[in-house]
Amino acid sequence: MSALTVRALTVPGRLNGVSFALRHGTLAAVVGPNGSGKSTLLQAAAGLLPAGGDVELDGRTLPRIAVIDRARRLAWVPQEASFQFAFSVREVVAQGRYMWADDGSGVDDALTAFDLRDLADRPVTRLSGGERQRVSLARAVATGARLQLWDEPVAQLDVRHALEVMALARRFANGGAALLVSLHDLRMTRSFDRVLLLQLGRLVADGRPEEVLTPAAILKVFGVRARPAVSLHLELPDDRRERA
Amino acid sequence: MKIPLRAWTILLCALAVARGAPAAAQRVVSHTVGTDELLLALADPGQIAALSHLGRDRAYSLNASEAAAYPTLKSNDAESVMRFRPDLVLVASYTEAPTLALLRRAGVRLIVVERFESLEDVYANIRAIGAALGHSDRAEKLIGSTKQRVAELARKLEGVKPVRVLAVSTYPFTAGSQTTFQDLCDHAGAINVAAEAGLVGHASTPDEKLLTWNPELLIASDNEGAGLEARLWQMPAYRHLSALRAGRLVLLPGPLMASVTHHRVAAFEALARKLHPERFP
Amino acid sequence: MKRRLVTWLLVSLLPAAFLASLALGEVRLPLTDVAQALRGRGDPIAVTIVRDFRLPRSLVGAAVGAALAASGVVMQAFFRNALASPGLLGVSSGAALGAVSVLAFGIGHALWTVPLAAIAGAFAATAAVVVLARRGAATERLLLSGIALNALLDAGTAFVLSANAGRLELSGQILFWLMGGLESRTAEHVIIGIPSIVVACVLLLPLGRDLNLISLGEQSAQSLGVDVRRVRWRLVVLSTLLTALATSVAGVVGFVGLVVPHLLRLSLGPDHRRLLPASMMGGAVLTLACDVATRLLPGGLRLGVITALVGGPFFLWMLRTLA
Repeated sequence: MSALTVRALTVPGRLNGVSFALRHGTLAAVVGPNGSGKSTLLQAAAGLLPAGGDVELDGRTLPRIAVIDRARRLAWVPQEASFQFAFSVREVVAQGRYMWADDGSGVDDALTAFDLRDLADRPVTRLSGGERQRVSLARAVATGARLQLWDEPVAQLDVRHALEVMALARRFANGGAALLVSLHDLRMTRSFDRVLLLQLGRLVADGRPEEVLTPAAILKVFGVRARPAVSLHLELPDDRRERA
Repeated sequence: MKIPLRAWTILLCALAVARGAPAAAQRVVSHTVGTDELLLALADPGQIAALSHLGRDRAYSLNASEAAAYPTLKSNDAESVMRFRPDLVLVASYTEAPTLALLRRAGVRLIVVERFESLEDVYANIRAIGAALGHSDRAEKLIGSTKQRVAELARKLEGVKPVRVLAVSTYPFTAGSQTTFQDLCDHAGAINVAAEAGLVGHASTPDEKLLTWNPELLIASDNEGAGLEARLWQMPAYRHLSALRAGRLVLLPGPLMASVTHHRVAAFEALARKLHPERFP
Repeated sequence: MKRRLVTWLLVSLLPAAFLASLALGEVRLPLTDVAQALRGRGDPIAVTIVRDFRLPRSLVGAAVGAALAASGVVMQAFFRNALASPGLLGVSSGAALGAVSVLAFGIGHALWTVPLAAIAGAFAATAAVVVLARRGAATERLLLSGIALNALLDAGTAFVLSANAGRLELSGQILFWLMGGLESRTAEHVIIGIPSIVVACVLLLPLGRDLNLISLGEQSAQSLGVDVRRVRWRLVVLSTLLTALATSVAGVVGFVGLVVPHLLRLSLGPDHRRLLPASMMGGAVLTLACDVATRLLPGGLRLGVITALVGGPFFLWMLRTLA
């Protein structure tokens, strides 16, 4: 049974008949040009947008699952995290679980995973964009949900933090979670198990990164020429890789 | 049928005697300026516990100097009244409902003055208040002398040609029928052109229709400060009136013009003199 | 530490303010006399003043303050804006129009008519907002509809006022109602206002957690397990009810719903589970204090005027620190 099954998902004007299934233990990426429907796909899959078609979590259709149950199984990280009120970082991360279990468990681990220990007591209104994004991610992870939908999670992060987040995602997937992550930077898809390529609301390719992101496909969808080159390859140093 | 009728008569008389008249009030508080005037006219000084909030204000009260001898209410609410421990409170129908309710619930006797537009209303109020004070005789005397003055005035004005008048002010309102102004006109030999045109109560001044009303004389209250005539000139509604152009404007003391009691007769007389000087040699 | 201090301060200020409201006024009564009067003993005039005049007034004042502050908290979380206030959706304007119309048409001098007309007006206004912003009533739409409706209703009230300006006593009554005030509050006001305000506040308290999440934005809140549709509906209804009831028994009292939540948020933090009950207490204290001020200061200042005099400068200070 798949963690997430999507059939003919349609949002008028934004998504057109997208279908795929995501199994547990998979780290999948959604890529596509601006306006191709990446955010819409994640929102619709999370049940946050009214959409035509079916969405199933672990075999059950979304409308049949109570909102609070959905929150236990599925975590969604928005593209932009704006906080109006001055909750502390710790409080925000703890909000991930407290609709069903206000026990603060998992909060410390989430804070450590996203390098937020030092910022734990800072009000979220006084964080940079990247720091806020990490807070949203930490909250999603603190929910303990086994299906994670992340919308542009590294867009505002510096290289080191971006790599750490990707490494974390990889570890989650290895541990049995299913992650669907939308990305801007195609080069980050190297470590992913699967890539979904969207164009103008349609799913035009679905498979392993090297199968989907061929130079021909990239030219067709993005209008950009791609060729292998020797460039700066960034990775985490060994000791960091252990910790992350 | 005779026996039942006699029985009823005896029963009613017995009831009347048994109920008896309530005792005369000894500590009276007046809540409005109009009732201040009546209280001062009818009561013994010892019966007056407090006068209204505006009692000492010359702009509103005809008895301002007399009122200075008595305490006044600090504000209009029930607590302000109760601190004088009244056994009778004189209020008007326009007093706020919650205040009336609280006073009633505090067990205080109230006389609510509902109507004051015509002289008959005034006489009824005088009688009611006089009775409550235990001075029905004074009330009747006051009514009698007022009626006499009114009759005297009517005699002097008999057969006079009424003057067409209009109440003007820098506020955009005029007085139609069913106002104290109307009463004033009726007794001073004047025709209220606003009432003639069909306005009832205090209504806003219709700028354009005004031009067809042809008042011969304008009447205003002197409460609005000096230079009223100049300010009226600045108002388009009045600028084109021949009466204003010819300077035919009469000022009457504010509290007199707005009087809700017997004092208005002084206003009748004042206006009558201005309108028909030939009748007052 | 600071939070505990503030909480204890609030808890002790509330009974103090209530007692002050019973003891102070034109007739200053020592507390022992107040205690006696409450039990019906002692000078009968003092008993009347304390039991029949000041007790209803203080109860209504406390309830109104609590209601407005609670409604302010909800509005601020709902619209994700610390500058939101209870009147945003047109509720108090609707109440004003209802009350003022009844006053102008002189429909009965029964004590029930004005407050009930105010409640009716308030609900009609909120219903209109919701209808105007159909299709799921998205937050921005609600806000804009509220603004439009406020303008319309204020125009209506101004019209009633101007059409009746010649009737001086009536315009005085209307103006006083519009300025808010607790003078001459009767048992009827207590009956209309207090039980329902208490019930609404009690129903609101468990929603603190939901408010925390709603203040993050509706999609985030839903993804974290809040049934946003149902909760939003409840919040709108309860907040409207509180504002309508408060306005119906005390006229239009401004700034309490804006100042109290904001001030307490600065000292107690934004967690609504703490902020809601604290605001209710704080609102009650502020309203009672301002009402006592109206009795002691000369010049017949009305409650709404004092809250504005306190709230206005505070609002400006708030804008400075936010900017």
